[in-house]
This record gives sequence, structure tokens and C-alpha cells, in this order.
Amino acid sequence: MHNLLLLITISFLSATITFYVNEELKQGPVRSSALLSLIVGSYFYFFPDTMDPYLVKSIPVVFIGASFVGMVSARLLSSYLLIGIGGILFCIIYLHTSNFFNGYGGALGTSAAISLLAVLSIPIIGKNRKLTNGMIQLRRVLFKPGKKS
Amino acid sequence: MSWNKTARNVFIIFLLIIQAIFVFAIFNESAESPVIAALIIILCILVLITYLKGEIHHEDHAYEHVFVALWIPAGALTSFYLNHLLKLGPVLSAATVGTLASYLPHIKKSSHYLRQLPAAIYCGAFIGMSSTGVAPDFLFIITASFFTAVLLILSKNLFAGVGGKLGTLAFAGVVITSFLYFLIASYA
Repeated sequence: MHNLLLLITISFLSATITFYVNEELKQGPVRSSALLSLIVGSYFYFFPDTMDPYLVKSIPVVFIGASFVGMVSARLLSSYLLIGIGGILFCIIYLHTSNFFNGYGGALGTSAAISLLAVLSIPIIGKNRKLTNGMIQLRRVLFKPGKKS
Repeated sequence: MSWNKTARNVFIIFLLIIQAIFVFAIFNESAESPVIAALIIILCILVLITYLKGEIHHEDHAYEHVFVALWIPAGALTSFYLNHLLKLGPVLSAATVGTLASYLPHIKKSSHYLRQLPAAIYCGAFIGMSSTGVAPDFLFIITASFFTAVLLILSKNLFAGVGGKLGTLAFAGVVITSFLYFLIASYA
């Protein structure tokens, strides 16, 4: 449980920091993801005894995968919270990825894309709900309670 | 229907199928965990909403230049070499290739061509992250790079700015090549 919470926190941070470096520091999506992953990956490569072996193996993988979520363009998504949620979703998918696709290059990117596509639906649903509320208001105006026809 | 529109629709459906196979594999193995199974179903619905209603594609269809896609094998072979021959591991290999590639546009800042290379090389680097159980040799990497390059050429304006797009293309390339190897092993 402790390890799971740590991985979820790392994936949230990875996605949001990558987005920050990409959009605010204007480093571009590739450098933001690759450079941050290089720093994290190098640390665990050169200091493998600093943590539990499971975490030493998992943290760099979770970090680079969640950083793909942070590569999203601000044109599509600019909320740090939603990007962080995308990172968490990635972490959950990664932890349950099928053994069948173990060792397939690009599986992390596929998980990241699925997480991000799921998160991108939230603004769409929100927009539709606003429309629904608008329809309710319109209905109230047109059919006032107690109005007899 | 024009050729561009057909290519666009075929590509979108193809990527949806690839993602569906990936999610189905998780769903199939999470039979004992109803929470994960429910989460996967919700995830599928949300992804479908984005596919149907999201503005994730540019209106006009365009093709990536072949000379940009040609850098995919370079990224893949370098990443594979660092991963398996220098034993750096998949993350460090892809990250090193991606970081170096991201500085290529600095060679000549006015070059439009150089600005497009980091994404193609990073996409290739994901192919090189494959384990030797999946990608046993350089021939597999080159074949997977070819399929990924074709997908990259077709998808220039599709899934624009969606994080994970490059990884999904690499995954599709690796899956197609694995399937091809499986067929050859079965019938040859």
C-alpha cells in the first residue's frame, strides 16, 4: 500500500512537472519528458541501493510513462489537476498491464495515451452538463411551476 | 469519399483497435478484481467520448515527410543498442536518445526540418525499449521501425498534441512485427 501511494504520487508529479517544463519553461515536449526521465533514471541506475528493489525498478518506468501524459499540448488540456489525474490513471493502468504485452516497446506510451484520452473527456462532459443545465433553466422559464395551461 | 479522408478514418479506427486490444488484455486478466474491471469499463467509455466528441485532430489532413520518418530507425537502433548491448535499461536508453534528439534543432535554429526530428527519434526510441523476448534482433527493430514510420507519415495532423501518441505508434509497430514474426514462425 505504501509503495502504491508512492508510485501514484510520483506519477502525478511526473505528469505535472513535465507539462510545466514543456509549457512554462518552453523546452518542448520531447526534452521535457526525456530530460526529466534521464535525471530520474540516472539516479536509480547509479544508486540502486537507496530504495526497495521493487521501487528502484518501478519508479523510473512510472516516471517516464507519466511524463508522456505531461507532453500534452496546452491547446487540448491546460489544467494541472487533470494532467495529474491523467498521470495517476497511467499508474493504475501500468500496474495492471497485461503480462501478454510485457516487454513490448511503446506499451507505456499506449497506457499514457489511453489515460490522457480518458481525462480529455472530462471537459467535454462538463461542457455538455452546462448545456443540460441551460436546458433546465429554459424549461423553467417556459413551463413555470403552477402555470396552468 | 476522398483518399485523404479514407486514410484518416482508417488510421483512427486502427489506433482505436490497437488501444482496445491493449485494454481488453488488461480486462481479461483482471477477472478476479471487479474494481479494476469496473475502472477499465469506465475508462473505455471516457476514451470513446473523446474519440467521438473531442477536438484531437486537425481539420486538414497532412502527411509527415518521409525524410522525417526515416529517423525512427535511427532512434530505435540507438535505444536498442544502449538498452541491451550497453545494459543501460529501457528508461535510461530512451531518455538518453530523446534528450540528445531534443538538442538537434539547436544545430541550425532556422531549419524547419531539424525541428521535426526530435519527435520522430523519440518515437523510435520507444521501439528500442522492447525486451529481447519480444524483439530478439536488429532485424525486428528495423521492421517495427518501418511500420511505425508508415503510421507516423499517415498521422501528422491526427492526435495532434496528445501525449502518448508516439508511444502508441511505436507499440503498433512492435505489435504488427510480432504478429508477422508469429505468422512466419507458424507457417515457414
